[in-house]
Amino acid sequence: MKKDLKLNDIPKHNIYEVPDKYFDRLPTQIMERTAAAGPSPAPWFANLQRPLRLALAPLMVVLVLGVLYLVNFNKEPKQPELQLSAVADAEIVDYLSTYAVLESADFAELNSIKQQEMTAEFLNVSPKAAAEELEYYELNTLDY
Amino acid sequence: MQSKAAEAALPLLPDSVEDKELLEKFANPESRNLAFNQLIRKYQQKIYWHIRKMVIDHDDADDLTQEVFIKVWKNLENFRQDAQLYTWLYRIATNECLTFLSSKRRKFFLPINDVAAELTEKIDSSPDISGDEIQLKLQKALLRLPDKQRLVFNMKYYDELKYEEISAILGTSVGALKASYHLAVKKIEEFLKQD
Repeated sequence: MKKDLKLNDIPKHNIYEVPDKYFDRLPTQIMERTAAAGPSPAPWFANLQRPLRLALAPLMVVLVLGVLYLVNFNKEPKQPELQLSAVADAEIVDYLSTYAVLESADFAELNSIKQQEMTAEFLNVSPKAAAEELEYYELNTLDY
Repeated sequence: MQSKAAEAALPLLPDSVEDKELLEKFANPESRNLAFNQLIRKYQQKIYWHIRKMVIDHDDADDLTQEVFIKVWKNLENFRQDAQLYTWLYRIATNECLTFLSSKRRKFFLPINDVAAELTEKIDSSPDISGDEIQLKLQKALLRLPDKQRLVFNMKYYDELKYEEISAILGTSVGALKASYHLAVKKIEEFLKQD
């Protein structure tokens, strides 16, 4: 074999063979399989003109959006207070303790609930700090 | 056993049956089967040989060729006519080949070289492969290439497709294809130098 053999030196030749009459039989075999698989499903819009088919997709989107709008149009939004009252206290506390950042002003709320028995642990604040905040808040609201 | 040259001498459907005409006939339920039969006759050899050179074994190539045309049957309705029909067919055939080869590796946990070794063994032992020593060596050299590089080489060297056409089929840039082909030729010639 030549050491400096180049690709162009090799004649292009197909070394593979197929059984006799293979390409005569192949279309029939494939057609039998397509018949077994059933007819190719022709979509209902296939017979429409091409511009109409192209316009079909955006039309469908507009239609769906329109239906959604109409469905939601007559629904009155529920009152926020009613919606909030449906939420359990424990869930609110859990949410606030997880996500909310309490500020000094939040302790003002303690005015309205100070008659209720709430543990310092529940409030997540020391009794001393709570008392100081209350005192500060009451001083701020005094009329001079 | 019949060679490609002998097959080429068979009376085939003339290439003059335009793809546009085939697609129009296919769109009509009454002439759909006839049109599809014509489509198979027009493209079966190109598709079969494209696949055969990748998977080597006739039975595998036969299965994959049939799968390609079944997929074409199922999806021809959705074929976008802004692409060439033969480009689309080549793409389906190419994907079938790559999927077949990679599933072969996964199925038997074979690395690339072992699949190449298995296909090389087929070249040596299969009764439906014949050629002189240098032709067989060229085929074995091709099996050393990565699958995609082998695809590019086959499409350029054997199928004589233009880079632009290969680019449309594989979705790879012309520049990358040229580099890939050049590298493939270099590797093949290196292999051919070995005793």
